[in-house]
Amino acid sequence: MKKNSFSYLFLALTLALYIFTFLNSPEHGLIALQKSSLILKEVMPILLLVLVLTALLNILVPSKKIAKYLGEKSGIKGWFIAVLGGLFSHGSSYVWYPILQDFRLHGAKDGLIISFFYARAIKLPWLPMMISYFGLSFTLVLTLYILIASVLQGLLADRLLTPLNNTNL
Amino acid sequence: MMKDKTNRFLLLEVMTKALKLFFSILPMLLATIGLVGLLQTYVSSEMLHALFRGDILVDTLMGTFSGGVSVGPPIISYIIGGELMDAGISVYAISAFILSWVSLGLVQLPFEASVLGLRFMLIRNLLALIFALLISFALGLTLSLLS
Repeated sequence: MKKNSFSYLFLALTLALYIFTFLNSPEHGLIALQKSSLILKEVMPILLLVLVLTALLNILVPSKKIAKYLGEKSGIKGWFIAVLGGLFSHGSSYVWYPILQDFRLHGAKDGLIISFFYARAIKLPWLPMMISYFGLSFTLVLTLYILIASVLQGLLADRLLTPLNNTNL
Repeated sequence: MMKDKTNRFLLLEVMTKALKLFFSILPMLLATIGLVGLLQTYVSSEMLHALFRGDILVDTLMGTFSGGVSVGPPIISYIIGGELMDAGISVYAISAFILSWVSLGLVQLPFEASVLGLRFMLIRNLLALIFALLISFALGLTLSLLS
């Protein structure tokens, strides 16, 4: 199935679920719709920024540069960029999909992208809240383990995933 | 004058490309956000509470599963995790729940596969799932050693 038809099918299924919900319980349908529009409002500014960045990157930054910093031979520098990028990136994961795919198409290693994703599990702005709920030791140990796991996952992914050019699934 | 024209052309090119990208992901984005709204409406914290029974292994698996299907800002997982802790649920299950809440996303899987590829999505999520369990056990053990 083509990527686009799959997207429209998924959208149609979601719409069908909403119609079903509205027919069964209009009140719940309305709440779901309100929650969704609130999320849409929240993600839109970051998404637009990410899309403009993706377009800029696509036009201005040559593939060689990306491959140098995030490619096969990026070394420790690459891991550092991926983990730090994950730590400081904001918003829902899905707003980052387009730019990350663009990095991959320009030669970034899959392992680094996976490392970026896992480092996002550390939510810097929420750490004080986590400490107040679960204590300092819990928060520190969990944060440290996530950092280690993000690199380990990247290394494992590099073994499991072949370069993008060979697998276009 | 020439530079001004080049800049304007560049801006136009960037905007066109960004808009094209936006419309290419829009159906999947709307579907994902729509599903998140539905899940947030129907999955309550009471429902999540009911999944935990007091058995470390089963609760940790339940924590991973329920965190993976739940959606919302991390603070919600802390609030539910805090309530579970007060209810005497193990730290293994609570950390698995919090971790899979932020690292797994069942609702986002189709979107992730459509942009980054099916194989990438499967491997990333499988690794995140395994590591949610590993980290929970390592964290539980470390904390009991520290105390």
